[in-house]
Amino acid sequence: MTHIAERGSDMKILLIEDDREAASYLIQALDEAGHVTHHATDGETGYAMGSSMDYDVLIVDRMLPRRDGLSIIESLRAEDNHTPVLILSALGEVDDRVTGLRAGGDDYLTKPYAFTELLARIEVLARRSSPAEAATSFAVGGLNLDRLSRKVERDGEAILLQPREFRLLEYLMKNAGKVVTRTMLLENVWDYHFDPQTNVIDVHMSRLRGKIDKGHANPLLHTIRGAGYMIRE
Amino acid sequence: MARVLKLSELWRTTTVRLTALFLLIFVVFAVLLLGLIWWQTTVSLQKSQTDAIDRESVALQRIDAEGGFRATIIAVGRLAQQPGPGIYYLADPSGQMILGNVTDLPADVLADPGTFSFNYERPRPVDADENAPVPEGNALVRSVQLESGLFLVVGRDVVERRGYTAIILQWFAIGVGGIVLFSLVAGVLTAVRVLRRVETINATSRKIMSGTLSERVPVTRRNDEFDGLATSLNQMLDRIEQLMQGMKEVTDNVAHDLKTPLTRLRNRAESALRDGQGDGAQREALETTIEESDKLIKTFNALLMIARAEAGTPSGAFSELDLSAVVADVAELYGPLAEDEGLELVAEVTDGVRLNGNRELLGQALVNLVENALKYYEPVEGKPGKIRVSLRRAGPRVLVEVADNGPGIPAEDRARVLERFVRLEKSRTMPGSGLGLSLVAAVARLHGGEFRIEDNAPGVRAVIELPGLA
Repeated sequence: MTHIAERGSDMKILLIEDDREAASYLIQALDEAGHVTHHATDGETGYAMGSSMDYDVLIVDRMLPRRDGLSIIESLRAEDNHTPVLILSALGEVDDRVTGLRAGGDDYLTKPYAFTELLARIEVLARRSSPAEAATSFAVGGLNLDRLSRKVERDGEAILLQPREFRLLEYLMKNAGKVVTRTMLLENVWDYHFDPQTNVIDVHMSRLRGKIDKGHANPLLHTIRGAGYMIRE
Repeated sequence: MARVLKLSELWRTTTVRLTALFLLIFVVFAVLLLGLIWWQTTVSLQKSQTDAIDRESVALQRIDAEGGFRATIIAVGRLAQQPGPGIYYLADPSGQMILGNVTDLPADVLADPGTFSFNYERPRPVDADENAPVPEGNALVRSVQLESGLFLVVGRDVVERRGYTAIILQWFAIGVGGIVLFSLVAGVLTAVRVLRRVETINATSRKIMSGTLSERVPVTRRNDEFDGLATSLNQMLDRIEQLMQGMKEVTDNVAHDLKTPLTRLRNRAESALRDGQGDGAQREALETTIEESDKLIKTFNALLMIARAEAGTPSGAFSELDLSAVVADVAELYGPLAEDEGLELVAEVTDGVRLNGNRELLGQALVNLVENALKYYEPVEGKPGKIRVSLRRAGPRVLVEVADNGPGIPAEDRARVLERFVRLEKSRTMPGSGLGLSLVAAVARLHGGEFRIEDNAPGVRAVIELPGLA
């Protein structure tokens, strides 16, 4: 997993998960990615830790002993605690996702999941508390994207993008330096939550790449093998 | 009917209980009515008797005043000899009886003139047996002292009157009894009839519970509420049977289509462990293992999604949505991919088609159709490949179509491809779970529509027909 080394910013994570085996695997993998993880095995302890300590991201299993995952999130939000939360759940239907997000979760990942997917999502989530969400323009290398005028240029040269391509690039640049997975792109750019059986996202990415990287010596849009895509200098 | 109805069973039925309840209410009211009539009759009879007594008393007083005591004695004597309920008694000022048709007046009748009611011995008829018991009578009398000083007692035998009310009571009792009896018979007959209809439903239920799911409740031609119930029940049973059938197919197919890759997965892991061919080969084996388990998870998710769609999601997951946007989005999403594969994807979308539904499921269904068209497309000689995604209105219905001009599906296989895990022989080698079209069918059904595969001559035309927003 080459992309892991590229991440400098280590995060402080609280994992609330009752399955000890899954948790220890996750903690180890997160540690290898350079993040510090605290672990709670039940809802009450998890809530106590989440409300008393400062974390960059919470990873909350939906079904927990002693206290339900959604109720933890609701209580934290009621206390004006806005730490980003990724909900983990075996329930993956549309309505489950909607209830999860309505309870105050920021993202929802269905078990079983690939670790790269989880890692990519929490790194993007932690970013949310930073001002990138509200920025009106993004710049990566010589590539500039203006969210208001909807103009894109590279090294002063205007690039014409289709509306969907613009949203795709906007999402990538908002998360510049972070890996975004194919499902994240499908969710955030097309608003669909499923695993495409075909390489439909890759085709869109290769078209976008053709527009922004063609004719330039240093490519900005990178394919991260086994994970997804990243835009960086 | 399978069983003979027992009396205790009959009593438990609603009809009989209701009949009994109404009967009870009826009897209570009948008794109240009877009491009222009896009371009214008594009062009016009593009033007519006292009126008669007063009239005679006044008349005799006048006779006494005008004709003196002799005239009074003659008049009273004549009245006393007439048969009937009349009671007459005349006494001299000292209280000694002069004449009358009663003998044993209570002392205070004469002592303190007024109105009295008392028991007395009726005078025995002249021709009566000496030993016969003296008949007891009840008298209502009025006593006055006449101008001539005589005491006059005029009254009526009340027993006569009592006999009259007894007749009314008797007929009333016969009437009430008759109605009670009739109602009971009618109630029991209705109960038996209703119970018999219910019993046919019960018998069917028992047969179904014992395992014959194909059993149905008989529907008569009466078209009454029981037939309505039976029809609903039968429709419910059809649906249940269909679901059960689906369930059985799933378990069969899960056994086959999930076990096979699981076995493959296990074998590969085992052989990688045994061979010990070095890190490179082991790594490769692990990567394939992850790939295979991802495929399994996808298959599993697809199965769950179908199960949820077929069970019918709660209406909360439904909202009014712009189907035109969904279709256009999917066409836009897959356009570049089709182009890369050398196909042209054309979208013909009518704008502003809205309906009540689940955007996620409808999108997934459409994606499945487009992915299928891309996956199974084979160029037919000399023709450019083309996939047409369209949305249009057809009266109150909405048609979503994905059509291609490829080789198509033979007519005899068209219905079969909708079944779960069915993959036609030539596609066995392609990746995929064989669940795509089943999901499309389930999503169409969930939205109150249907899914069918038609001949596009040449090629396949997959049609989702949905009810539009009214």
